[in-house]
Amino acid sequence: MAHEITAPHYGFLIDASLCIDCRTCMVSCSVENNVSMDTTRIWIEETGVTGTFPDLKRYTVPYHCMHCVDPSCASACTVGALHRNEEGIVTYDKDICIGCRYCMYACPFEVPNYEWEATLPLVVKCDMCAARLDEGQQPACATTCPTGAIRFGLYEDMLAEAHRMINENPGKYVNHVYGEEENGGTATLYISPVPFEELGFPIAGTSSPAYSNRLVTEGTPLVAGAMLVGLSGAYLTIKHLKEEAAAERREAEHAHAGEDHE
Amino acid sequence: MILRRVIAELRAMPKFIYVLAAIAAFGIGVGLYRMAVGLGPTTNLTDESPWGIWISFDLATVALSGGAFTLAALVYVFQFDSLHAAVRPTVLAGLLGYSSVLVILLFDLGRWDRFYNVFLHPNFSSALLEVSWCIAAYSTILIYEFSPVLLQNSRLKWLLPTIKKYLIPLVIVGVTLSTMHQSSLGTLFVIMSPRVHPLWYSMLLPVFFLVSSLAAGISMVIAGATVSYWLFGRSLKIKTLSQLSWFLPWILGFYLVLKFGELIIANELDLLTEGGRYTALFWTELIIGAAIPIMLFAMKQVRTSRAASLFGASLVLGGVILNRFDVTWFGMKASGASYTPHWMEVALLVGVLSGVVLVYSLIARYFPVYEETYAVERAAKAAPAPALDGARPAEA
Ligand code: SF4
Ligand code: SF4
Ligand code: SF4
Repeated sequence: MAHEITAPHYGFLIDASLCIDCRTCMVSCSVENNVSMDTTRIWIEETGVTGTFPDLKRYTVPYHCMHCVDPSCASACTVGALHRNEEGIVTYDKDICIGCRYCMYACPFEVPNYEWEATLPLVVKCDMCAARLDEGQQPACATTCPTGAIRFGLYEDMLAEAHRMINENPGKYVNHVYGEEENGGTATLYISPVPFEELGFPIAGTSSPAYSNRLVTEGTPLVAGAMLVGLSGAYLTIKHLKEEAAAERREAEHAHAGEDHE
Repeated sequence: MILRRVIAELRAMPKFIYVLAAIAAFGIGVGLYRMAVGLGPTTNLTDESPWGIWISFDLATVALSGGAFTLAALVYVFQFDSLHAAVRPTVLAGLLGYSSVLVILLFDLGRWDRFYNVFLHPNFSSALLEVSWCIAAYSTILIYEFSPVLLQNSRLKWLLPTIKKYLIPLVIVGVTLSTMHQSSLGTLFVIMSPRVHPLWYSMLLPVFFLVSSLAAGISMVIAGATVSYWLFGRSLKIKTLSQLSWFLPWILGFYLVLKFGELIIANELDLLTEGGRYTALFWTELIIGAAIPIMLFAMKQVRTSRAASLFGASLVLGGVILNRFDVTWFGMKASGASYTPHWMEVALLVGVLSGVVLVYSLIARYFPVYEETYAVERAAKAAPAPALDGARPAEA
């Protein structure tokens, strides 16, 4: 089964140099999705305080689902509750999720969270405010961010903009657009004045583990078929050999008995 | 009248049955409480460690239940008739092992109320889907394989010849399903390359899991037979056991070659001498679970001694259990958070385990698990076929 990977339609461009840790994005996400503040789908990563007094620095950046082009979470989900749609949005169907939490370990960015305090909990994951997009609006977090740290638009525009920002402001950003290649590419792109490891971002490879996963899981039915044939063959062959041996033995006994009579 | 008989039966039960029942009841009570209040208050699971001791237990138990398919393959497909006597207790142990896994899984699922979505909304690229389908199908086959023991003294006895007729094809399907899910449990972690420590991570994880489950399965048969020899005085012939344990050095040797071969190819040999807890865990696993047992079972004196075989088999089991815990828990790089189970998580586990031992003891008490002659088999043996390996079929 060929797996088609298309470029995302929409994209985020998140600029770590602009985030002021006001957490407005978290509040708006909580309001938009009607969830409590502990289970917002966006949160703040930070470097911690660095440097020596009085030159102290602390960088923060909002962090949510990357909307991977080949999402590991969707490849892993037992029931297909996670799914990448035609617009490149990785959506979550809360009505079929069984709560196995495999997606939480499968996502290389450790994005999906869980409603641990609920009796019948659901996965907590950004869906790019798909409902707002349908109404022609921007995602809540992007609209409310007061500094413009979270920008939203067509993916190509965001990617071009990221490179333009880096090129036109020499020395301001590290020369890396996080998300351009990470995990095979993602719709959420980041630029940052400090290395991404310092912000606590995982160092992801350039291909998605979903690929290795498909290699193995799609090969399984073949192996199973081969085993069925092989085992049946082994059974029939051994049975046949045993029956032959038995027949020979009977014949030998027969002949023996015959000799005795003479 | 019936009541009086039941009371008399209960009185005659050995004491440990009551202890097991009490522990099981407590554990299930804790489980029901978890259902009522959710995972937050009853477990130490977090966003950083969303899987805990329950999953580790499930993986270890499935590996240990591998005896049922190993033996079924040896006896029914490859027709080592002399091993036949081991089939019933092993199939029962496997069946109960899988049942406990299914029970624990149900408590583990956040949305246990719609577990059936596994069948309604399958995602075929998911290793967890493969695992759940195979385990569900295979448990059904195990019930089928075991049903003659439950039916032979009942009014449904007439079903036995029919059951017997379809046994071989079903066993072949069962062995295939087991191979699939034993390996798929390894596949689960193939997608977690950023998470599982490189000492354990490999694209070959499905093969590692399959091979080690064969070793665990055989060791489980040996351990079970020895324990039942001491407890009930009924067991397998030591000759049968030594035939089985003869396979162990080969399987474990193959496993070691695979493991180290993979590390060489992945150019990760330096991890072996790095020191620290991962290195220590890795070596413990392979030395205790594979290297020492290989040396032990290579010796004929060990294979022909019940006590020594039990010791060797326990080492293999310990190694395999440690391996499953390493992959699912100790070797998992959860960013920051270190997980230790909540007491309720442990209580539920212990409760379910006690329940399993309880059911096993009761079935072994009332049904002919350790007897070898029943009508259908005798009928089938009317025209005995000599065994390939030279053992007399009468032993089968
Ligand atoms: S970041 Fe994680 S949750 Fe989001 S699409 Fe990628 S794999 Fe899925
Ligand atoms: S927790 Fe839900 S969304 Fe995540 S893998 Fe399981 S079923 Fe899918
Ligand atoms: S896009 Fe919507 S759901 Fe996603 S983080 Fe922003 S506000 Fe929350």
